[in-house]
Amino acid sequence: MLSMRRATRLSVCFLTLIFVAGLALAETRKEFRFTVGPNASISVLNQYGPIAVKPSSNNQVTVIAILHSDRVEVDQDQSASRVEIRSHLLPGANAQSGQVDYEVLVPAGASVNMYSPTGPLRAEKLAGDVSLEGANAVIDVHDVSNAHVHVKTMNGPVTLTNIQGGHVEITSVSGDVRLTQVSGPLVHVSCTSGKIFYDGDFGAGGQYSLISHSGDIEAIIPPAASFDVTARSMKGKVENDFPFQPKSHTSFPLIQGSSFAGTIGQASSSVVLKSFSGKIRLKKR
Amino acid sequence: MTCAEFEQVLPDFLEGTGNRDLEAHLNSCPKCWELVSDLRAITEECKLLRASEDPSPRLWDSIEATLRREGLIRSSGPQRPFLVPTTRRRWAPAARLTPVAAVLLLGIAFFVGRRIHEPVAQQQNPATQSVASATDSGVVSPDQDEQVMAELAKDAPMVEASYQENLNDVNSYIKDLEHVVQANPDDLDARQLLMEARQQKAMLYEMALDRSLP
Repeated sequence: MLSMRRATRLSVCFLTLIFVAGLALAETRKEFRFTVGPNASISVLNQYGPIAVKPSSNNQVTVIAILHSDRVEVDQDQSASRVEIRSHLLPGANAQSGQVDYEVLVPAGASVNMYSPTGPLRAEKLAGDVSLEGANAVIDVHDVSNAHVHVKTMNGPVTLTNIQGGHVEITSVSGDVRLTQVSGPLVHVSCTSGKIFYDGDFGAGGQYSLISHSGDIEAIIPPAASFDVTARSMKGKVENDFPFQPKSHTSFPLIQGSSFAGTIGQASSSVVLKSFSGKIRLKKR
Repeated sequence: MTCAEFEQVLPDFLEGTGNRDLEAHLNSCPKCWELVSDLRAITEECKLLRASEDPSPRLWDSIEATLRREGLIRSSGPQRPFLVPTTRRRWAPAARLTPVAAVLLLGIAFFVGRRIHEPVAQQQNPATQSVASATDSGVVSPDQDEQVMAELAKDAPMVEASYQENLNDVNSYIKDLEHVVQANPDDLDARQLLMEARQQKAMLYEMALDRSLP
């Protein structure tokens, strides 16, 4: 009886091993290299699977692609400093067999365009403009300086960390947006039901607008921050921890508890927090 | 009958309500005869003009002023202006029909415009048209939503429910803000939010179509 059980266990393990090995064998690793000049433009379009972009130490673009089956190919195209990588689904491909995992190394100043509906999409330590789009993709961008970051998603959560000196524009329908240490001349976040969370100092003399329909907006700010603020929730509530100099003139009627407008510190930046029914909170760190 | 008396009834005379006394004066007075001849000539010319376009009342005022300046007619008391009423009276029924004509013309222009654009529009994917109109005007009908969702259901059924849910969210966003803007058209914040909501919808359409395209 005991040996019977042992034999069953062994066969299950054996079959699992064969299955995993089969999967591994079905995967194909491909690597492509492109030499580009300054201000290169790189696009990666992937119907199913992740894209991760990191900086390279030279003027080469390196693409490592893991293809999950032979029902998908990787098409590549280079024209001068423009490189386009695209997953090409063959007949019969689906979300599993059509998946390709990309890891892309780009010269730090290159501008990058990433598209994957499923994601995840990840970009780090870049100094060129980054555009990320994915309907359901988890999006993570960190350590980008002096470059623009554009994000579009439907329900994927968006996390931006340590982004400085460029324009940041995020549009999300139901995905939550979390910004940590994000500052620049323009930061614009627009959500429908997704929540917006900002942890930073609203610095760099920029224009910040965080807008939602029903999603809550929360900003955690250091006590020494300096900005002009307008906050309004048409059907929701507004909370504020900061003492401020109220504005005498606004384009809408100020209603206690659902809107306020004023100046905190020297008003070096402009901050607009607007929601239809979401709760807005301005908290001291 | 004196010339002054004749001039007082001249408008009615020109409209054909003459009598023997007026006729007798006209036949005996060369000055009044000349005046009536000139006015009849002008009236005939004006009829030709009317055939193409009803001139502005200012033209009649200007003619009247010129005639007065040249001494051809004199002020006739507190009555209506000398020339304009004649025209207005005659064209009054037509003037009442003007709005009807304008509506008819607009209707024809709309119909012809649609017919001209139809062949081009029919070549496009209906869902693509929906995106274009969602982006252009922001006014989106439920039919357009259905078209986009039908395309998506055909090619990416696994994600249909999630798109539908988000589309419902955005639609309620738009509806809420349209109510606010209707109630207070001067609310710039609401207008801005409405624009944001419409942009979200356009983005959603775009994403849905990207998923449904090969």
